[in-house]
Amino acid sequence: MLEVTSLFAGYGGRPVLEEVTVRIEKGRLVGLLGANNAGKSTFIHTLSGVVPAMSGRIVFEGEDITTLSPQARVERGIIQVPEGRLVFPDMTIRENLLLGGQHKLARPKRSQRIDEVLELLPRLKERLEQKAGTLSGGEQQMLAIGRGLVAGPKLLMLDEPSLGLAPKFVQYIFEIIEKLHREGLTVLLVEQNLNLTLRHASYCYVLERGRVEVEGASSIVRDDPRTKKAYLGL
Amino acid sequence: MSEILQALAQGFLVGSTYGMLALGMGLVYSVSGIVNFAHGDFVLLGMYLCFALASAFALDPYVSIFITLPTMMAVGGAVYYFLIRPIAGHHLLMVIQLTLGVSLLVQNGLLMSFGGQFHRAPSMLESKLWLLGPVVVRVPQVISAAASFSIAIGLFILLRSTDIGRSIRAVHQNARAAALMGIDVGKVRMLTFAAGIGLLAIAAALLVPGTPMHPSMGLRYTAITLIVVVLGGMTNFVGIMLAGLVIGISESLGTIYLSDTLGMILPYAIFVIIMLFRPQGLLKSA
Repeated sequence: MLEVTSLFAGYGGRPVLEEVTVRIEKGRLVGLLGANNAGKSTFIHTLSGVVPAMSGRIVFEGEDITTLSPQARVERGIIQVPEGRLVFPDMTIRENLLLGGQHKLARPKRSQRIDEVLELLPRLKERLEQKAGTLSGGEQQMLAIGRGLVAGPKLLMLDEPSLGLAPKFVQYIFEIIEKLHREGLTVLLVEQNLNLTLRHASYCYVLERGRVEVEGASSIVRDDPRTKKAYLGL
Repeated sequence: MSEILQALAQGFLVGSTYGMLALGMGLVYSVSGIVNFAHGDFVLLGMYLCFALASAFALDPYVSIFITLPTMMAVGGAVYYFLIRPIAGHHLLMVIQLTLGVSLLVQNGLLMSFGGQFHRAPSMLESKLWLLGPVVVRVPQVISAAASFSIAIGLFILLRSTDIGRSIRAVHQNARAAALMGIDVGKVRMLTFAAGIGLLAIAAALLVPGTPMHPSMGLRYTAITLIVVVLGGMTNFVGIMLAGLVIGISESLGTIYLSDTLGMILPYAIFVIIMLFRPQGLLKSA
C-alpha cells in the first residue's frame, strides 16, 4: 500500500532522515520505534507532506505522491493523528469532528462517519457540545483519533498516541487502535513506548539518528540487541 | 435631555460603522497574525472608487458596491499574494513596515490621481432625515449601522456554522493541525485577507454619503480601527462591535459636551484608561 524508498528529508537543507526505506502492506499494523529525536515525527510529517522530501520516493497505492500537497494526501486517505493531539481547543467536539471530514471527498459521508465514531468512542458522544480544550488528555486523544477517522483514512498514522496519558487511557487507546486494525484499517503506529508497540504491531522499524537500524517481525525486533542500543543510545 | 439622546444615537450609528471597519482587521489578524496599517487607506481607496464611478457614470455609492466589492477583494488578494505572503512568518516589524509602505503608496497614489482637494460622491439618500421623537438621524447613517450589524451577524454565522468558517477558525487556532485536516492554509489566509479588504469596500460605500474624502484621511481610519480592534480583544467579533460603539458614543458625547477638538481626543483617552485596567480588551478573546 505504501512504499517509501531511500527517503531523505529534513528542515532548512539539513537532512534528519537519511535513506529511509519503509514498506507498509495493506491491512497491517506497522510500528515505527525510536528514541527522542530519532526522526519519527519528521518521517510521519514527510508522509503527510508538511515537511518536503529532499530525495527519494513515496508511492501510495501505486501513485507517486512524493511532491503532492498535504491536502491532496489527505484526500487520498493518508491521515495523521498528530503528536500532542492538536485538537482545536476553542471548538466543540462536534466541530472538531466536522473539521476532520471537511475535505471534499469526505463531506458526503461525513455525518454517517461521525455517527460511527461516536459509537466507537461513546465518551465523546456525552460531550458533543463541550469545548475540546476542556477535555482531559486521554479524551483529547480519543477526539484526535475520531477526527482522523471522520476523514476516511486508508492509512492512519498515529504519532505518539500514548504520550502523556494515564496508564488506563493508554490501554484504552491501544484497544481502540487494535480494534480499528482488526476491522481492516492499515495503521502506522509511531511510538516511543517499546513494549506496547511490539505487542500490538506485527512488523516494526526502529529508527536511530534518522536511519532504519532494525526492521522485521516484532518478535525478531524485540530480541535484536540493536533495538535496545537504539533506545539507550549506546 | 434631547441633546444626550441625540449624542447617543449619533454615537451608536457612527460606532457601528467603526465596528464594521474593525471586523475586517480583526478577521485578518485572527487568521494570519497580520496587523494591516494600510487598513484606513484601503477605506479611502474604496471611497475614491465610489467617487470615480459617481463622476464617470453617475452611479450612486450604494449601487457602486457591486463594482467596488469585487474590485477591492481582487486588490486585497493581490496585495496578500504578492506582498504579504512572501514575508509572512518573518519578524512582525517587517510585516508592519510593509503595510506602512502600502499605506504611503495608496495615499500618494490617490493624491496623484485625484489631487489634494476634498471630494464628495453624493447619494440620492444623502439629505434624507428621520425624526424619532426628539432625535434627528441621517438616513445614510441608519443604513450604515443596519448594514454593519447585518454583516457582523452574517460573519458570526459564517464563522460558527459553515465549513469555510470552521476552516478559518481552525487556521487561527492551529495552522499545522488545519493543514493536516486537508485545509489549504495559504488559500484560507489569502481569501480572508481579500474578504477583509472587501468589507472595506462596503464600509467605504456606506461612509461616502455625507463624508467628504481626502487622501490623507486614511491614517485616522487606521488609528480608529486599531483602537477598536485592540479594545475588542483582537479576535473577539462581539467585543469588536461593542468596542466600536464605545468609541463612537464617546466621540459624539465628547464633541457635544466638550469642544470639537477635545471631543475627538476623548475616545483615545477612554481607550488608554480601559487598556490600563483591561489590557486583554473589553471581552475575553475567543
